[in-house]
Amino acid sequence: MVVTQEAPRTADELATTLREAAQAKLAVVPVGGGRAQGMGGAPSRCDVELHTTHLDRVLEHSQADMVVSVEAGITLEALQEHLARDRQFLPVDPFNSPGHTIGGLLATGWTGPLRFRFGSARDFLIGIRVATPDGKLATGGGRVVKNVSGYDMMKLHYGALGSLGVIVAASFKVFPRPLHDVTVTSDGGWDDADRALATPVAPSALEVFSDGRVLARYTGSRDAVERVVKELGWTAEEQSIWDRHARRAPARWARIAAPRTELRRLVEDLPRGAGWWASPGVGVAHWAIASDARSVKEVRQRAEAAGGSLVMLAAPDDFLREVGAWGTPPATIEIMRNLKRAFDPDGVLNPGRFVV
Amino acid sequence: MLPSPIVEELRGVVGRESVIVSPNDLRIFERDGSIEGALPDAVVLASTTEHVAEVMKIAARHKIPVVPRGAGTGLSGGAVTIRGGIALQVTRMRRILEVDPVAQTALVEPGVVNQELSLVVAQHGLFYAPDPSSQKACTIGGNAAENSGGPHCLYYGVTTNHVLGMEVVLADGSVHWVSGDTPDRTGLDLCGILVGSEGTLCAITKIKVRLLRIPPSIATMLAAFPSIETASQAVSAVIGRGIVPAALEMMDSVTVGAVEAHYHAGYPTDAGAVLLVEVDGTAESTRELMAAIAKVLDENHGYGLREAQTPAERELLWAGRKGAIGALGRIKPNYYLHDGVVPRSRLPQVLSAVGEIGEHYKLPVANVFHAGDGNLHPNILFDMRDKEVLHQVESAGEEMLRAVVELGGALSGEHGIGLEKAAFMSWIYSEDDLGAMHRVKDVFDPTGILNPGKIFPDDARRTVHLAGRTGLAVEAKWW
Ligand SMILES: Cc1cc2nc3c(=O)[nH]c(=O)nc-3n(C[C@H](O)[C@H](O)[C@H](O)COP(=O)(O)OP(=O)(O)OC[C@H]3O[C@@H](n4cnc5c(N)ncnc54)[C@H](O)[C@@H]3O)c2cc1C
Repeated sequence: MVVTQEAPRTADELATTLREAAQAKLAVVPVGGGRAQGMGGAPSRCDVELHTTHLDRVLEHSQADMVVSVEAGITLEALQEHLARDRQFLPVDPFNSPGHTIGGLLATGWTGPLRFRFGSARDFLIGIRVATPDGKLATGGGRVVKNVSGYDMMKLHYGALGSLGVIVAASFKVFPRPLHDVTVTSDGGWDDADRALATPVAPSALEVFSDGRVLARYTGSRDAVERVVKELGWTAEEQSIWDRHARRAPARWARIAAPRTELRRLVEDLPRGAGWWASPGVGVAHWAIASDARSVKEVRQRAEAAGGSLVMLAAPDDFLREVGAWGTPPATIEIMRNLKRAFDPDGVLNPGRFVV
Repeated sequence: MLPSPIVEELRGVVGRESVIVSPNDLRIFERDGSIEGALPDAVVLASTTEHVAEVMKIAARHKIPVVPRGAGTGLSGGAVTIRGGIALQVTRMRRILEVDPVAQTALVEPGVVNQELSLVVAQHGLFYAPDPSSQKACTIGGNAAENSGGPHCLYYGVTTNHVLGMEVVLADGSVHWVSGDTPDRTGLDLCGILVGSEGTLCAITKIKVRLLRIPPSIATMLAAFPSIETASQAVSAVIGRGIVPAALEMMDSVTVGAVEAHYHAGYPTDAGAVLLVEVDGTAESTRELMAAIAKVLDENHGYGLREAQTPAERELLWAGRKGAIGALGRIKPNYYLHDGVVPRSRLPQVLSAVGEIGEHYKLPVANVFHAGDGNLHPNILFDMRDKEVLHQVESAGEEMLRAVVELGGALSGEHGIGLEKAAFMSWIYSEDDLGAMHRVKDVFDPTGILNPGKIFPDDARRTVHLAGRTGLAVEAKWW
C-alpha cells in the first residue's frame, strides 16, 4: 500500500487536498503530533496521511481578553511558551507528552491531571474551524468566552477523532498562571487521596498510583494553599514531577473511565501487580497492560457494567484486534452514524479507527 | 386550528384537559419574554416522557410543528410558535428524581425550576452553579435548551459545563439517553451538541446535572465608578491581573436608580456605574482576593467600596442585581434586551456605541450585565402601546448588535438566537458555517417539525436593513 504524505501550508490548501482525496475516494488519515496514533482501531485503509505540521501559528492572542486563536498543528508546548510570556496558560497536561498538537488533543479528547480543577479542553474551547471532505471550511463559535450563537459545533468535533472533519484552527479561553502552585506527596494510597478530596480547598490535580503514592497539586491564594498543605501534613515535592508524569506512555495501555464513585473498585480489581495511575476526582485511570487480552476484556466488562468504558490507547496490532479498541458501541450509535454520513458521506476520514 | 381528529389523538395521549385549543386560553402561550408573539394551534401539557414521545409521533405523522416550552422566560422568541402548531409544555414534569450527594449529581425533569434545585440540594451542602437572573421562574430544561448563563458563570462556566447527560425525544418520537455521569464516553458528544439547540433538535425530558459544594466563604463587594467607561476599564484590569472572581456584574446609573427605588439595597445613585464583585473559597482566599480586587478597583477610579457584612446584606445586593430588569418597569413598561458578547477589552467601545445609538433614536437605555464575560445587556425601554416606537426599538437593537459584531463579538452570550436574531446569523457565519449546522439539524429533525423558523436565517422573514451608522470597523476574520 502506497501512502501519500501531504503537509499543506494553509488551511485552504488542506481543505483542497482533502476534497481532492475524497473525490478520488482515497482514505485520509489526519496526523498531528502522532502522539495518539495508537488510539482506536487500526485504520482499515490509509491512502493519504494529512499532516497539520505546517499549520503551526498563533493567530491571535489577546492578553487582556484571555483568549487565544491558533492553527491546529501548533504543539501544546509552543503554545504554552507563547502564553507564558503573559503569565497565562492552557490547563491541559496530556500523557505521552511532549509533542501533542492542539488539533490532535481536540480530536482525541486526551486530558491529564489538571482536568480535576479546570475541566477538559471541551470546557474552554470557544471556537473551531474544520475542513470537511467536500472541501469546505466551517467555523463554529468565536473569540468570546461565552457564546450561544447557533449550535455548539465545538462539541461535535471534540473527541470525534477526526471522523467528521479535519480541525484546522481553534480558539480557547486561557487562564492566568496561578499565584501560588505547590505539590505535595504521600504514600497513603486511595485513602489519603480521599482525605485530600474532602478538604475545603480542593486540589487542582490529584493522582494516585498503583504503588500507593499520591500526588496533590494546590494552586491559588497563598494563605489558603499553605493552610491546607499544613493540615494534610504530606511531604513537599518538586513541581517538575508533573512534567515527568506527563511523559508516561506505556507501549500497551488503556484508559478506564467510570463514575467517580466506581473508579477505586475498578482499579483495585485490576490483575495482581498491574501498573496504573488514576485521577480519582475525575473518574479516569490509565493502565499499563502487562497481562493478556482476556484480562483486558474482563476489566472492560466490569467498567462497562459500572457505566464506564475502557479504550485502548496503544497496543500491538494483533492484541488490539483481539481486545477491540472501543468496546460495546453506545446505544445511540445510529444517530452518530447519521452524523458521520452527513459530514463524510463516502467514509474517507480515518476509516476503521473510530466507532463511526 | 388543528383538525379535530388530530386534537382527539392528542387528547388520547395526555387526557382531555391537557390539550388547550380555545383561542382565549391559547393567548397565554403566545409569547415568551421577548417582543414578538404568535398563537399556537394547540397547547399540550405533557406529564411524562411517554407523553412527549407520543405527541411527537402524532406531530411527525401529520407534519405539525412542535415547539417545546418551559417557563416561557426566554428572551429571544425561542418558545414562540411562529409557524403555529403545538406548544409542548413540559412544566408539569417537575420532579427532582434523584440527588446523589456522594457523586454530587442530580437527575431532574425538565420543568424543575432552577432555583428550586439549588434550594433542595443545599441540605447536602451543594448547589447548582448556573444561575440565570430569572432563576426563580425558568426551568432546568429551558436552561439546557438555551445553554443559559448567569452572574456566577464567569468562574463556574455556563449550563453546558454542568449537564452530564440528558434523556431526549427526537422528532420521530424516539427516546434516547445521551451521555451520563462518566467522563470520556465512547462516540460523538451528542449531549454537547443538543445542549443549546433551542428546541430545534430535540425535546429534553430528563437532565442529569453536576452539583458543586457550597464554598465555605463568600465575599461580595459593591464599588461605584464615575462612568461606564471607567467601570469597564476596571473590569479589564481585574481580570488582566489574573484574578477571576466568581461574579463581576455591572449596572449603569439608569439601572441603579430603578433598582434603588425598588429594593433600597444601598446602591449609590450618584454613580455613573457600579460593579458588583463576588469571590468565594476559603476565608483566607476570599480575604486575599478581595483585598487584591479592592486595590485594582481603587486604582481604576472606583470609590465608595463596600463589602457586604452579613448574608442578609449580600442577599439584598443580589436581589437588586437579579431583579434589575423587573425594576426597570418603573421607567417604562416594556424593555427590549439584546445580549451580544464582545472580547472584554472592547466593553468601553461597545458601550459608548450603545449609548450613541440610544441617543440617536431618543430611547432610554439601561445597561445591566455580566461585565466579566464581556456579555452586555442593553435594555431599550419603551411602551408597547405606542405602535410607532416599536419599529425604532427594533432598529436600535439591531444597530447595537451590529456594533457588537463589528468589534469582533457574537450575537448572543446566553439568551439564544431564537426568532429575533436568526436574520443576523449571516453577520457572523458564512454560508458554509451555517451549512455545517444545517447538516446537524437534518440529522436530528429531517422533516423540520421541531421549532421551525428559529436560529437559521429564513428567507420568509423580513430582511435586515441597517442604517449603518455605528461607524465601527468590521474586523478581519482571524482565520
Ligand atoms: C428577567 C429575566 C432575566 C433573565 N436572566 C437571564 C440570565 O441571567 N442568563 C440567561 O442565560 N438567561 C436569562 N434569561 C432568559 C431565560 O430565562 C433563559 O433563557 C431560560 O433558560 C429560559 O428557560 P424557560 O424555562 O423559561 O424556557 P422557555 O422560554 O420556555 O424556552 C426557551 C427555549 O428553550 C426551548 N425549550 C424549553 N424547554 C425545553 C425542553 N424541555 N426541551 C427542549 N427545548 C426546550 C424552547 O423551545 C425555547 O426555544 C432571563 C429572562 C428574564 C425574563
